[in-house]
Amino acid sequence: MTMHERIPVTEGLFAETAAGPRLLGSRCRTCSTPYFPRSLSCHNPECGESQMEDADFGPRGSLWSCAIQNYPPPLPARYEEPYTPYAVGVVDLDEGLRVVARMSVDDLDSLQLDAEVELTIEPIYRDEDGREVTTWKFKPLQSTAK
Amino acid sequence: MRDVAVLGVGMHPWGKFADRSVTQMCRVATEAALQDAGIEWREVEAVAAASSRFSGGKGWGLNGNDVVEDMGSTGIPVYNLSAGCAAGGNAFNIGWTLVASGAHDCVLVVGGEKMPKGFIQTSGLEEETDPEHLRQLCVGMPGPAFWAALCRRRMQDFGTSHEDLARIAVKAHQIGKHNTNARFRQEFSIEDVLNSAMVSYPLHLYEICPVSDGAAAVLICSADIARKRTTRPVWVASSSVATARFDDGLPRGLGTVVPQTGPTCHSEASIAVGNALEKAGVAPTELDLVELQDNTVFYELAFPEDWGLCQPGEAERLVEKGETLPTGKLPINPSGGFLCFGEATTAMGVFQICELTWQLREQAGPRQVPGAKIGLGQTLGLGGNATAAVLKN
Ligand SMILES: [Zn+2]
Repeated sequence: MTMHERIPVTEGLFAETAAGPRLLGSRCRTCSTPYFPRSLSCHNPECGESQMEDADFGPRGSLWSCAIQNYPPPLPARYEEPYTPYAVGVVDLDEGLRVVARMSVDDLDSLQLDAEVELTIEPIYRDEDGREVTTWKFKPLQSTAK
Repeated sequence: MRDVAVLGVGMHPWGKFADRSVTQMCRVATEAALQDAGIEWREVEAVAAASSRFSGGKGWGLNGNDVVEDMGSTGIPVYNLSAGCAAGGNAFNIGWTLVASGAHDCVLVVGGEKMPKGFIQTSGLEEETDPEHLRQLCVGMPGPAFWAALCRRRMQDFGTSHEDLARIAVKAHQIGKHNTNARFRQEFSIEDVLNSAMVSYPLHLYEICPVSDGAAAVLICSADIARKRTTRPVWVASSSVATARFDDGLPRGLGTVVPQTGPTCHSEASIAVGNALEKAGVAPTELDLVELQDNTVFYELAFPEDWGLCQPGEAERLVEKGETLPTGKLPINPSGGFLCFGEATTAMGVFQICELTWQLREQAGPRQVPGAKIGLGQTLGLGGNATAAVLKN
């Protein structure tokens, strides 16, 4: 086994920190509204004063919903041939942030709504130079297999 | 504000027309609307047009200018409106405003679109500052997967079955087969729908709308003109436009706040419809028919509930009992809807006004809602745009 070089699909959205994987966003000090990705200003119309600071989110949340991407998605999404369907999810993080994400599993039995899920950073495809291109995903915390 | 009437409507059939430009299709629709209204082109005082992202408009969404040049440059003002798939509804709202305000007496509203083949990219940008671009780059969640996730949540909350979903597509084609302007006019069984390709679990191919080419036009005018030209005008009781609320919980872009209260819904659609009903002085239960944006069967369940047309969790049973057919108590999409037409994105808001007008004039033939007096049209577009209009006879 050789270790493949890994690069993020885009910069500045997620990171492996000492405490584990995190999504990189921001939060308004005035109204506590969380943002992902980072926002330069607060969009809450009830907020008196936009005061943004960097914040990171994760790793725990619950699966609000999910779906399977059964056909190869149009650009700018990329995938390796032959195409294998993958699962996408909508996850409510404990910090009050709802995010969209890839799921690390794609079988429907493992994707129970309202189940606890955990953030992970994993490859989605290998690029022309053989590097693994990573994004944020969520994995169910407990196997639902009985 | 003055009373506004729909005097004429016209449509180019929906389908795929490789050898016809969007402007040619708009001309067919415009000429039909003018003829229906008994109005000459040179009497049109202004044009409100939907800006197409995919076709014509000199690449700048100047589709109204294309129509005016093609029909004859009379020097009239043109308003090109961009609101994603809500652009047609948005153009109707501006046309209505121009007549209602007294600025003009006779305005053409037009929307036409030629769509690229296959599944479309939702974002028109390739910039990493654009949230929709990032969503596709990092997650890969095109429109159907977004609809599928909303649908999957409903299945969890209300026990919606695969058969419940399929039944809506069956119903759409049961009516749409009668519409000569529709692209897909064959009937399907529940089994046919469930055997069609899985596009994005839990949604099958026949449970989402494909993209189509199409064009529609409506001629709207002041009450004075309407009374001179016709004995049976259709009135615009209200027209409204809205954008999404910050806290509706709908997973747009990459992230949003988890809603503190209330259900997750397209707040833009609920606001637009709520305002349109209020301005028209119409209770949700008084509507005789609804033309709503059924990009997917899911919306035909969720929207009537979001807007108070029925109780939460009731929609599946209404469909099962046939209540959403033209002969039922809550007729939805008697045109056949997006499922039978396919989406010619920016033309759809104008398409709905055409169908509502035919219904309120009792010209809809086999898909007629008996005794239709009040109808609602609604569109939805990228960017959190929505429109609604109430028409009365
Ligand atoms: Zn704030």
